[in-house]
Amino acid sequence: MKVNILQWHAVASWTWDAQDETCGICRMAFDGCCPDCKLPGDDCPLIWGACNHAFHLHCILKWVNSQTSQAHCPMCRREWHFKG
Amino acid sequence: MADSISSVCNLAILEKLSDGSIEEILESYNGFCAATDTLLNGAGDLSVGPQFVSHVHGLCKHGLESLLRDHFLDALERTFEKNGALKFWRHFEAYDDVSVEEEVFYNALEEISLEKQYQEKCLLILVHALQSYNHGSHDSNDYRVELFAKYQMSVSSVLMATLPRHFPEILHWYFKGRLEELSTIMGGDFPHDDDEDDDDDDDDKDDMDLDDKCKVSYRSGQMEIDECYPQGRFLDNNKLVNNIGKVVRDLRSLGFTSMTEDAYASAIFLFLKAKVHDLAGDDYRISVLESIKGWIQAVPLQFLHALLAYLGDSVSYDSVSSGLKSPLASCPSTFYPGIDTPSEGLVRWQLRLEYFAYETLQDLRITKLFEIIVDYPDSSPAIEDLKQCLEYTGQHSKLVESFISALRYRLLTAGASTNDILHQYVSTIKALRTIDPAGVFLEAVGEPIRDYLRGRKDTIKCIVTMLTDGTGGNPNVSGNTGDSLLEELNRDEENQENAGLDDDFHTDDKQAWINASRWEPDPVEADPLKGSRNRRKVDILGMIVGIIGSKDQLVNEYRVMLAEKLLNKSDYDIDTEIRTLELLKIHFGESSMQKCEIMLNDLIDSKRTNGNIKATITQTSQAGSELGDNWVSMDVFDATIISSNFWPQIQDESLNVPGPVDQLLSDYAKRFNEIKTPRKLLWKKSLGTVKLELQFEDRAVQFVVAPVHAAIIMQFQDQTSWTSKNLAAAIGVPTDMLNRRINFWISKGILAESLGADSEDHVFTLMEGMVDSGKNGGTNGSIEDLIVADEEGESSVASVEDQLRKEMTVYEKFILGMLTNFGSMALDRIHNTLKMFCIADPPYDKTLQQLQSFLTGLVSEEKLELRDGMYFLKK
Repeated sequence: MKVNILQWHAVASWTWDAQDETCGICRMAFDGCCPDCKLPGDDCPLIWGACNHAFHLHCILKWVNSQTSQAHCPMCRREWHFKG
Repeated sequence: MADSISSVCNLAILEKLSDGSIEEILESYNGFCAATDTLLNGAGDLSVGPQFVSHVHGLCKHGLESLLRDHFLDALERTFEKNGALKFWRHFEAYDDVSVEEEVFYNALEEISLEKQYQEKCLLILVHALQSYNHGSHDSNDYRVELFAKYQMSVSSVLMATLPRHFPEILHWYFKGRLEELSTIMGGDFPHDDDEDDDDDDDDKDDMDLDDKCKVSYRSGQMEIDECYPQGRFLDNNKLVNNIGKVVRDLRSLGFTSMTEDAYASAIFLFLKAKVHDLAGDDYRISVLESIKGWIQAVPLQFLHALLAYLGDSVSYDSVSSGLKSPLASCPSTFYPGIDTPSEGLVRWQLRLEYFAYETLQDLRITKLFEIIVDYPDSSPAIEDLKQCLEYTGQHSKLVESFISALRYRLLTAGASTNDILHQYVSTIKALRTIDPAGVFLEAVGEPIRDYLRGRKDTIKCIVTMLTDGTGGNPNVSGNTGDSLLEELNRDEENQENAGLDDDFHTDDKQAWINASRWEPDPVEADPLKGSRNRRKVDILGMIVGIIGSKDQLVNEYRVMLAEKLLNKSDYDIDTEIRTLELLKIHFGESSMQKCEIMLNDLIDSKRTNGNIKATITQTSQAGSELGDNWVSMDVFDATIISSNFWPQIQDESLNVPGPVDQLLSDYAKRFNEIKTPRKLLWKKSLGTVKLELQFEDRAVQFVVAPVHAAIIMQFQDQTSWTSKNLAAAIGVPTDMLNRRINFWISKGILAESLGADSEDHVFTLMEGMVDSGKNGGTNGSIEDLIVADEEGESSVASVEDQLRKEMTVYEKFILGMLTNFGSMALDRIHNTLKMFCIADPPYDKTLQQLQSFLTGLVSEEKLELRDGMYFLKK
């Protein structure tokens, strides 16, 4: 007997390859989305700082824009730079 | 006897009288008595008249007028009793039952009427004699009326006193018989039926369809207006009515007025009732109200009209009613053949009869309402009839009571499936919406159904199935009822748009005005306790959701079912799901359907990503083609990539997929990681669908199976016999799981199971080439062989109950802690405490029922104890 596979439809889930589970700003799961977004994934991406802390892009942008002077990482208080 | 009376009565006056006058009085009196006897018993001989008159005058001279009058009336009464009443009743004595022949009845009446007429003549002689003596000193007319009234009274009292018990019955049956006769003449065959289709008319009567019935009532209507009876028939009917009229008149003159009226009224009502029952029958597909009305016009009203006319009532009433113009007379829609203005008596009768007909039909329909609603869309004519009847009679409460008890008895029992109950509920809503657009009675009727459904576990599931797929989850139910809820989603789409379900206030002034102008007061029967500030929306979906209590549960159940459906899809075709979701969004609000939307979005994204990956991938195992047989091309591979946070919990089981496929998976994941950095894929290897073809030497069979089935069967390519332990190890699943899953292949006749050396360890062997005699019958590769593997009741998505249990376990230690501190607590106290203290992460948002079922679980696990409604820690 021989088995011919005509079609194999598999199921997978995606996840952000981050060390943490939740965004340090909005406390929502990375695999979910920030409070302002409706759809996770491409529409609500993560961003890493030079300090290797990850946040929802929208969350950290809001934070950075709200700072008058140089913004700091909300987690480690180092100066915030987007990871290159 | 006469002498004794006279001697007693005359004693007082005797003293004042001279002998001569006594002599004279005695002589006149004796003469008078003799003359009276001769007159009354003389069988029509009035020759003693003059003699009688002279005696009367003689007695009057002595002021004995009252005496002779009393004596005469007394004599009349006795004679009537002897000659009239006894003879009259003797006619009926022979008939113990009530079926008196018409002839006998007529003869008896005739005889007694003659007797009475004769006696009246005699009385008249007396009156004249007295008048001629008095020369008008009395008001002659008054005097005569008074005497006749006395006579009439004595006649009726004699008859009443001797009345046999079954006489009213006899009257009733007489009128009934005549009515039936009349009905056959007037309402029965129509002129044109006689020539062509007389004989098959009878056969057709039972299954006449709507058109025919309409025609009939139309015909009868026309018949009345045009008065196109054949001459002979008309005469017949006239004669019949005249006969009846005569009978009624005679009976009235004998003092049976009310008894007669009772008799013919009850006959008419009984007859009408029978007719209504006959016409209405058990067929709900036709409206019968019109034909009943037509029949009332044609038969009983004709009868009454003729009768009243014969008795001369209509004329007298006419003059009154034209002046009064009572509200009863202003009934414009009716026609009265033969007369221009209906008499008030007739209008009263018509209203009585119609009310009775409505009531009868209504009662009939109400008792059958359950059946009517069962075949609802077909039975809408009956519903429409019932609606009209109820508008007329206003006995809605009767409907509610009777229907609720029918529901309790027939529907809300353990034997009825939840689907059937739901379908009946939907039909009930639709049907009662016609009868009562305000939904007041619906509320009362729906309550027991809702209460009952809340107690069933599969209610939510059934509702969601009904909502999402057309078949209503029950293949036995015909498609059209199953469709109903989905259609309801569609139908209400535009209605709901301006009246959002979530917020009931309207910022738009114009909209508010429209709403205000549409307002109608609640019917008086409305229960004021149930607030009616917002006009009740008779919205089927709303009422269905009302069963469950909150839309969240419904949405949750829908999400689970949707997940199941999506995960088993092998293509990315989700058009119907998108449509359903859009409709549900309109009803339940966008935010509550958010997760479902993400799920569908995942499917759309997966399709795009899948295409992208497959187009750009470079299969690392190019060299794999040299491996030969087992190489699987990327072309046959697809993947659904889900955002697991937004899906219901998925039961992921470990599984070692076959090597080549595993290679594909890692290639695919790698490419995904390249495209979507920094995202990566986590395979849920046990999920998905596999379409495969088993190629034997002589044939090929196709299957659509779960990956675990594919993994199992692929192991048999190289090695045709496996023990269960080895096989389980090879594909990386627990042995018991393997034993369950492998049953699929055994049932298909591909594998065979036999006991191995170890009793725990079964041996599975591939049945090469032996299957032809089996279930598949050797129709190679045909569509019948494309068997979808059933999941054997094991879904890949955790059911709502399982999820609930999992969520509730968080609170277990709270509850145990609470009980340690407080000793014992009632259910609602536990509920309230949890609500108060578990406010963060995850907040306690369960219902009392959910908590109760969880606590019951803990009790059965012997962690808690329940005594008198209080929970304790089990010691």
